[in-house]
Order: sequence, then structure tokens, then C-alpha cells
Amino acid sequence: MSADVVAFTIESLRQMNFDVDGAGADTVFGPAGVDLDSLAVAELALRVEDAYGVKFGEEDMERLAIMTLGEFAADVSARASSLDGASK
Amino acid sequence: MITGIGLLTPLGADAAGFFDALSAGRSGLRRPADAHPLAGILEVAGFAPDVDPATVLPPSEARRVDRFVVLAMAAADAALADAGIAVGRDADPARTAVVLANAFGGLGMFEAEAVAREAGGHTAVSPYLLAGMLPNMATARIAIKHGVRGYSSTISTACASGAYGVAEALRLIRDGLADVVVCGGAEAPLLPTAATTFRNSRALAGGWADPAEASRPFDRRRNGFVLGEGAGVLVVERAEHAAARGRPAYAEVAGWGVATDAYHPTAPRADGTGAATAMRLALTDAGLAPADVGYVNAHGTGTKRGDAAEARAIRAVFGAHAPAVSSVKGVTGHLLAAAGAVEAAATALALRRGVLPPTHNLDDPDPECDLDHVRKAPRDTAAGVALSNSFAFGGHNVSLALAHPGGP
Repeated sequence: MSADVVAFTIESLRQMNFDVDGAGADTVFGPAGVDLDSLAVAELALRVEDAYGVKFGEEDMERLAIMTLGEFAADVSARASSLDGASK
Repeated sequence: MITGIGLLTPLGADAAGFFDALSAGRSGLRRPADAHPLAGILEVAGFAPDVDPATVLPPSEARRVDRFVVLAMAAADAALADAGIAVGRDADPARTAVVLANAFGGLGMFEAEAVAREAGGHTAVSPYLLAGMLPNMATARIAIKHGVRGYSSTISTACASGAYGVAEALRLIRDGLADVVVCGGAEAPLLPTAATTFRNSRALAGGWADPAEASRPFDRRRNGFVLGEGAGVLVVERAEHAAARGRPAYAEVAGWGVATDAYHPTAPRADGTGAATAMRLALTDAGLAPADVGYVNAHGTGTKRGDAAEARAIRAVFGAHAPAVSSVKGVTGHLLAAAGAVEAAATALALRRGVLPPTHNLDDPDPECDLDHVRKAPRDTAAGVALSNSFAFGGHNVSLALAHPGGP
């Protein structure tokens, strides 16, 4: 699932007009990578929440902002699978 | 000189009760009722008292203006009454001014009309929309109602707007353009779309079982601000004009300072340099030194970054001369464009009464916000000078220097 989330994230960032040419799992959200500010992190979180049914809290935002795309995808996958577990 | 105060805030509709609630730490914040349009959007909000528009406007007009205009008019009526001013009797209409601030304009009225048009087509849209929602309509309708014929203007610098209104009043009086200025801010942002964008930007406090605990400026567990609505209007009057009428003053507006971050649309500079510059300029403008200041009424909204940046700025300006600091937003929430005027009023009342209100919910001060906090209980003070800070989206920083009317 992680690879799917990475692809979804890259496509979302492209739609948000960020430069994602050459971006991959090792790319960081911070200034050394796509350079998301707090509102961009919030928008990305909303898109991922909509697509995968997960939830992020306000306290998650600063942590997300310094992740790599791969770490983010793993985080989302873990949240989604715990969601699946809970609903079974 | 501030000779009149009119407030409509989550703490009620009278200035004395407002200050008593601040001092006692009585929260004005509550959870929207289940049937409220904001239920499911906001966990907690600061609702101002209901005002029947027909009490401030002629019946034919009353249903055709946005709530921010109604709140502004009610606060202006109260402030002029408190100052004992009937324009034309106690003040020359041509030398009376109005400067009201807001950030959202009549967004609520616009949203309702947009929904009506979607549902009912073009005949569903009111011809009164613009006269009810334009950002200048608070200023204009106060002028119409009270016969103000001098300078009038509207300021919009987001959450710093209300304090800019007070700064503008001081400038008008110093420039000899007015004897009496009705100034302040009003905001009615408790609307589904507006509230949702704050929520989606993750700026709001959340996860608190008791709504009274959600707003906690400078506390280690703070996690955002609480959205509120209200109006604050001050009558700022030339000192000689007030003296000639034999009116006592709450406080003197002694100086103002403004600096712009030039950094980011929503985030403050983390080092607080814009905020620090605004405070220094306010003191310079008032002819005062940091050591003269006994109290800082902080912007302190309860966001992680904003509070830390402000604390850093206060430490940078005052160094060893640490003044007492508190934020009223623990009990009022964040009233956006009204906040600066409401908090200037709180600061004036604190100087006048010699009592500093505590920051509510400041149970465990964040080490990143190390300051001389007034917390748990009000603190008696002999402070002659205080600063009131307001900072905004857009990087607008303003600080007002207020002095005890008896002099610093």
C-alpha cells in the first residue's frame, strides 16, 4: 500500500502546484525537498484523509512536515490498517 | 484619552462585567449546541451576546445588515453613551471621526445569499447585500446613526485590525484632524465556511472535554486557538476636549508601533522580530523606555508557534526588566479583528483599576514561553504604562502603549 500512497501523495502535490519532478520515497516535505508550509501540510492531510479514511490531529502536523514521502506513506498505511482492524 | 468603552464579547455586553470575568477567570467559551450550524465543525467557540438588530437600526434596515455591523453598532452606541457624548451636543460633528476595523466583512450575509442564489436563482438575491456586507458598513452606519461628519475609514489587517483602529485614532488626534474618534473592531466569523477553513488549516484548539479548557495561551498543552466573535469600540478623545467636558478617562493612548514581517501569509517570524520592533516603536513613539512598562497584554492566542514567537519578542525587548504578561484569550477566545480593541479596553481597565487579569488555563507554562506570567489569580499592580500587542495573518504587528490617565 505504501507505494500507492507515495504515488497518490506525489500526484496531490502536483495538483497543488509543487515541483515534484524526480520526487520519490526519499524526498522530504521540508525545505530541502518539496518545501511545504503549514497550510500545504494541512491541505495534503485533508486529501489523504479523504482518500484513505485516516485522521490526523493538530499534534501530527509538525511531525508530518519533516517526514520523507516514504515515511509519510508508511505512517498512512499503518493508520489505514489499524482502521481496517478496528472495523473488523 | 480613552473616555468610553463599548464591548460585546463572549464575556457579555458590559465593560465592567467583562473585566470582572477576566479577573475571575470565568470562561465565555462553550460548545455549539447540537442544532447549531457550527455543531460538527467547531468543538468550542466564543459566542457574543445576541443583539436584536432592531435595537440598533431602524426596523426597515434591521434585517438587511450582517451581524458584524450590528455588533459594531451596539458597541459604538455603548461606547458613546459611556463617554457621555451625543455627537452634535458634546462633540463637533465635523471634528468627530469613525475608524472601525474588520477582517471578514459580511461574509455571513454573502454566504447566505450565495446559497439562496444556488437554490432559487437570481431573484433570490437581496438588493441590500452590498449595503449590508461591505467591510466599510460598520464605519458608515455608525457615522449615519450618530451624525459623524469628519474623517471616516475602515481598516483590515486581519487579527491586528482592531488595534490598528486605536492607533489610527491617536494619529488623527495628534494631526489635529479630530477631537473625538470612535474606533475599534468588530467580527462575526462564526459561520460554516469560515469556521471550516480554520478547522481544515489545523489552527484551532481541539480534543478538550471541557470547552472552558480549550484556550490556553502559553501553556505547555496548548494546541490552537478558539474562534470567537464580538466587537470592541473605544472613544478616544483629545485630552483637552475631555477635560473641558469634565470627563474622567480610563487611560491615555500614549503611543503606537507597527512593523511588518514580510515573511509568510500565515506564519509569524519564529524569532518574533516583527513583534519586537512593533513594541519598541510603540515605546519610542510614547517617549518611554522598556523599564517604564509594568504590564504587557499579549496577543497570546494559544497556538504553538505564535505564543513562542511572542514570548521571544517580549524577552528581546525587555531583557531583565521583565514586565507582567497575560492574555485574555483564555476566556474570550480569539475575536479576530475585534481582539485588538477589546484587549486595548482590557489593558486600559487594568491600568485604571490597578489589577492585572490572569491568563486562564495557564496551568503549566511552556518553557519556550518563559515570561513573568500573571496566572491562577489577578495581580495587584502600580503599573503606569502597559503595552497591548496584536499580530496577524499577513505579518502585521502592532503594539499600543497605554498609560494611566494620571500620567506614567
